[in-house]
Amino acid sequence: MSAPDLNSESYAERIWLRFWSDRFARNGLRTVIVLFIIAALAPLLANSHAIVRVADGRVSFPVFLSLEPIEWRFLLYVPLAGLVYGFRRQLLSRGWRSVWMVAGFVVLVEIFLGFSHPINDPTNDRDRPASFKLLPLIPYSPIETTPDAFSAPTWRHPCGTDSTGRDIAARMLHGARTSLSIGFVAQSIALSIGTALGGLAGYYRSWIDIVVCRFIEIMDCFPPLLLILVAISLFESQNNMFYIMAVIGLTSWTGVARLVRAEFLRLSAQPFTLAARAIGASDLRIIVRHLLPNSLGPILVAGTFGVASAILLESSLSFLGFGMQAPTPSWGDILSEARMYIDFAWWLAFFPGLAILITIMSYNFVGEGLRDAVDPRLRLK
Amino acid sequence: MTNYIIRRILLLFPTLFGITLLTFFLIRLAPGNAALLKGAESGRAMTAEQRDQIIKLYGLDKPPLTAYFDWVGKVAHGDFGDSFVDSRPVSEKIGERIGLTMSIAGSALVLSYLIGIPLGVIAAIKRGQTVDRVISFVVFVLYSIPSFAAALLLILFVAGGDYLNLLPMYGANSINASEMGPLPWLGDRMLHLVLPVLCLTYASLSYISRYTRVSMLEALSQDFIRTARAKGLPERLVILRHALRNALIPVITVFALELPVLISGAVILEEIFSLPGMGQLMFQSLEARDQPVIMGVTTLAAIVTLLGYLTADILYVIVDPRISYE
Repeated sequence: MSAPDLNSESYAERIWLRFWSDRFARNGLRTVIVLFIIAALAPLLANSHAIVRVADGRVSFPVFLSLEPIEWRFLLYVPLAGLVYGFRRQLLSRGWRSVWMVAGFVVLVEIFLGFSHPINDPTNDRDRPASFKLLPLIPYSPIETTPDAFSAPTWRHPCGTDSTGRDIAARMLHGARTSLSIGFVAQSIALSIGTALGGLAGYYRSWIDIVVCRFIEIMDCFPPLLLILVAISLFESQNNMFYIMAVIGLTSWTGVARLVRAEFLRLSAQPFTLAARAIGASDLRIIVRHLLPNSLGPILVAGTFGVASAILLESSLSFLGFGMQAPTPSWGDILSEARMYIDFAWWLAFFPGLAILITIMSYNFVGEGLRDAVDPRLRLK
Repeated sequence: MTNYIIRRILLLFPTLFGITLLTFFLIRLAPGNAALLKGAESGRAMTAEQRDQIIKLYGLDKPPLTAYFDWVGKVAHGDFGDSFVDSRPVSEKIGERIGLTMSIAGSALVLSYLIGIPLGVIAAIKRGQTVDRVISFVVFVLYSIPSFAAALLLILFVAGGDYLNLLPMYGANSINASEMGPLPWLGDRMLHLVLPVLCLTYASLSYISRYTRVSMLEALSQDFIRTARAKGLPERLVILRHALRNALIPVITVFALELPVLISGAVILEEIFSLPGMGQLMFQSLEARDQPVIMGVTTLAAIVTLLGYLTADILYVIVDPRISYE
């Protein structure tokens, strides 16, 4: 990043500079981005189907035929996010036209997914003869069983295999998708609820504030894991991903709500809010144009820490057997298998544990760095 | 101060009302129960007896508000209904397990204070130096390790796996515990609780030491510290008598925030280590869909947390006489 003119930098640029100068925060962010790329590319990194296969003079791409819609989404939307970020200046200068471009891409992807039919082909390309084949890095699928059960880490299976001979490395790569997306979406839900309720309470005060504060206090009394377990077990879901995201989101918004409420209380006493009100700005305008942008920093900080705890909650749920449905790979699920073979299969506990540790630690580093960047007084103390 | 405490206790009631309301409507909204009311089959096997009990306990045949107050009345008398699994009263089942959970959570809490505060104070005094960096980093890593993964690896490597066999793998006591005298029994129990308490401690320890560090740094930057140093007080006294005493006030009250975290942690750890505590009871009831027990444990955990918040608030006024709430 080139050194910007110190006098003309914006608030966001200043925060970014401070954030980037923190070594831990910088590497945390890099790790999170790498994790997202791994999650997006998981089907290309670990798959029993070859990426390119040439046999009988015909070229085919077996990997792409077996992709599920959700795998396509990851494969297409993560690069899109990268592109939007890379061309953010060009996009911003085009205004609405760029919004339509991105929306158009999303619509095209979804139409394409509507017509795609993943082929469930159990054959693997490892042993199939071909004149040329390019196999993924780990030539096993996450739900593919092999006779090679309980293999300790070897070159063939870098993270070992489980009781039915499934390759742990493949399951971990695909499991990254579950953890990262649940963490991200669940926390987005929590952020929306928290910002809405906290904002209303902080802006309108009076009885709304009292009601919201009581509600926050009540929610905080329930140990988070207990409440989620009750919600999942009583409502007998099919353990689908969106249900788990929603439940985690619905139970972890209180921290954000407290924070936004405090920010709104503080900001609405500031002169610029009074000035906006004096020239006749509506409540909505004051909230959206003045209060929200000014409290964005703390919200972002809380959101980052929240993603870390949502990922931890998700893996605890999968670990206890209340998470995703059985064959879907997730880190917590591998750990729960480790429990049964705890006397020797260390690789079943070590690798997913390490993956969760790295993910949570990266998010926490990003959160800490962001907090120091948003509020430098805290660092100077 | 007495006034404040009385007012604070009165404030419990709206929250208590909210807790029971939320729990109650969670049950009522559960699709299985709606199906019961319509007399339809809900998919899971339930005897006619259990069906009657649910309808009676939660008043599913009555209008919601009446049913709620009936239920709250029963809960206030400690009546959470009978378990589906063995038809014993829920309160009895909880009663015989709560002691173990409390001793695990309690020891974890005490230990994390005993270790966390010195760590935080040292890091704050040596701010920016290698000691501070090492402590802060180690504590940060500890904070991010999921307790269940740590528990699995600890069992594997030190408790009877193919590696070291230093500690018992699971259970709260050895099989022959009933034949032991009181002292060996206690030793046996403590040996069994080493790993679960360790796993529950390290995360809250790291939280408390980080919190202590920030609080201590804040105290050290105050004017009265400069005054104390200026008048020639030895540095040890400046830190122990002036800075630390002020820094500890917010740290002491943090225990209330740790309570729900510890309870959540206990659910997982008791399940892993097969400890017959509340967490394991909760987990077993979840698997058996034993509704009365599930609701009983949840309500009780929420009330315990609520009392923790109350204690923290009252402690705050007692330790810090500067704050006036009149």
